[in-house]
Amino acid sequence: MGPSSPEPVQLPLGIRWEDAASLASFHPAGNARALAAVERLLAGEETCVYLHGPGGTGKSHLLQAAARAGSERGDPVAYLPLSERASLRPEILEGMERLDLLALDDLHCIAADAAWEEALFHAFNRMRDAGTALLLSAADRPDAVGLVLPDLVSRLQWGLRERLRPMDDDDKLAALRHRARLRGLELPAEAGAYLLRRQPRDMDSLFRLLDVLDRAALAEQRRLTIPFLRRVLAAD
Amino acid sequence: MGNSVWNHCLSRLEGEIPEQQLNTWIRPLQAVEEDERLRLLAPNRFVMDWVRDHFLERIQSLLEDAQGHREVVLEIGSQASAPPPARGGSRTRGPAKSNGAAHAPATSNINPKFTFDTFVEGKSNQLARAACSQVGENPGAAYNPLFLYGGVGLGKTHLIHAVGNLILRNRPGARVLYLHSERFVGDMVRALQHNAINEFKRHYRGADALLIDDIQFFARKERSQEEFFHTFNALLEGQQQVVLTCDRYPKEVEGLEERLKSRFGWGLTVAIEPPELETRVAILMSKASQDGVELPNEVAFFIAKRIWSNIRELEGALRRVVANAQFTGQPITLDFTKEALKDLLALQDKLVTVENIQKTVSEYYKIRVTDLLSKRRSRSITRPRQVAMSLAKELTSHSLPEIGDSFGGRDHTTVLHACRKVQELRDTDSRVNEDYANLLRTLTT
Repeated sequence: MGPSSPEPVQLPLGIRWEDAASLASFHPAGNARALAAVERLLAGEETCVYLHGPGGTGKSHLLQAAARAGSERGDPVAYLPLSERASLRPEILEGMERLDLLALDDLHCIAADAAWEEALFHAFNRMRDAGTALLLSAADRPDAVGLVLPDLVSRLQWGLRERLRPMDDDDKLAALRHRARLRGLELPAEAGAYLLRRQPRDMDSLFRLLDVLDRAALAEQRRLTIPFLRRVLAAD
Repeated sequence: MGNSVWNHCLSRLEGEIPEQQLNTWIRPLQAVEEDERLRLLAPNRFVMDWVRDHFLERIQSLLEDAQGHREVVLEIGSQASAPPPARGGSRTRGPAKSNGAAHAPATSNINPKFTFDTFVEGKSNQLARAACSQVGENPGAAYNPLFLYGGVGLGKTHLIHAVGNLILRNRPGARVLYLHSERFVGDMVRALQHNAINEFKRHYRGADALLIDDIQFFARKERSQEEFFHTFNALLEGQQQVVLTCDRYPKEVEGLEERLKSRFGWGLTVAIEPPELETRVAILMSKASQDGVELPNEVAFFIAKRIWSNIRELEGALRRVVANAQFTGQPITLDFTKEALKDLLALQDKLVTVENIQKTVSEYYKIRVTDLLSKRRSRSITRPRQVAMSLAKELTSHSLPEIGDSFGGRDHTTVLHACRKVQELRDTDSRVNEDYANLLRTLTT
């Protein structure tokens, strides 16, 4: 996010946005319950959902997807990445009860910061009174992320909690192929496996790589074969 | 929602701005299309300023493309009492969001669901409940102020709402104000900013009953304390009821003026303790039946034995079991529950064994584990032994005969006697109560 003004990005013709974080582009693998929890929240069956687990398990994806889904049906929603805390202030939580959904990503980043914790505690109370849905993610359980305000911890324990598990290589391959398909790309299984053997295997890097491959494939009108991947990766 | 112009604008922005920025800054905006202009409502100043500095120009130019010249106004707020939009799967919502909510002083705000009927009573909250119900029946006359204190998630907020509901039931037109202490502070700051302190005073001093939650957040806010002090005095003088909650005994709140602390003690100060096992089970059963869920007794006991610290966590665990049952289509059995709560309970299960309890209790009372298991009957040994047995009943799922066995082959009636004795001592001897609470904390965190 940073302070710099976002330049409108010039997109190469044909880059589609369908594979932006959406519920459809989430590959559940072992995390179907987390996806179901988010769907319950969006359907109004829960008011607070707390997702926890290590990085790269899809928490941010689910939070952004929920924001997008809410927005697409006309609800005002917000997604706040607390990892960007340097450019945010606790005041950003004021008035959030006016929205239909607030997604707070990486809660652990504000742990032990008294001003943030108290602001979130008060925001939680106001949102609960107003019926605003709250979706949170953190590295660990509410009582294990270093929060010091017990009032806040107990409120977070109230919600529906689900833990996300890291994906194994088969899941990653399936997720990668799923995302490729949403972009209109066919990533053959052996080509995907080739990437997993040679590249950083966290999902963020893999999805970024997919972006690079998509552009290259589009520019050269090529399919994603292993020789093509080898050449693009060598050039990258 | 007829935001055709805004929707057009939004879909254009989707292709230009990274998804994350869109989600953070653009999607919280609510658009109101008027004849000559488009009003964009931001939830707060921070978002408004950011949008103005980074996106407003682009939004303006997109609108010009679409509609010819059109003014965009950016302000803080939300759509006042917007009609409920028709959408599939209607959501159950709280009170309608309105623009006024954040600016007008707090109005009633009593949650009709929190009544005495839905409050599960047990030893730990009996006294508090009785005091609240008397105050609800005779506001301004029974105890004034009524001061409830206790740890987080023990039902203080439920009780304070129940007082409000009871007053309103007996006198439907009564002015009962419930608010969180932060709201009082916020209203006062706004009143000062807008030169409306007299309205503020009239509003709060005109209440038949003022119910303020979590007053520990008044700490170190001197100006608010000053204002609250005068409000408080005016209400007491007028025999209007004041009920306050706090997470600790008033004298222990740091950063609170002495004169306030002493006035809080003028009426009745009553504690809420963590619920004991039977109450936790009753709470789970009651919650489940409110949600129309059939909860087997053994499942309720299983959950209640493992989660003891606060009611919110207890409800969170139940929520998890219910959500997973609906997700998988399986009935809620003991095995299903164990599986559903595996992550949640992993830590507790690992720590709390009878051996662990014996070790921890021995260390706490500075005796040896072998003494605990021995036949010795001196007071310095029997008391810790009884405490350990009681903890074992509370924190593990072992049967009483099993617990007796692991304490040097004692009978289950000895365990039962120990549990009763400890409960009795906790009610009468604050030192025993404190020891017990300390040990519970040590064993479960």
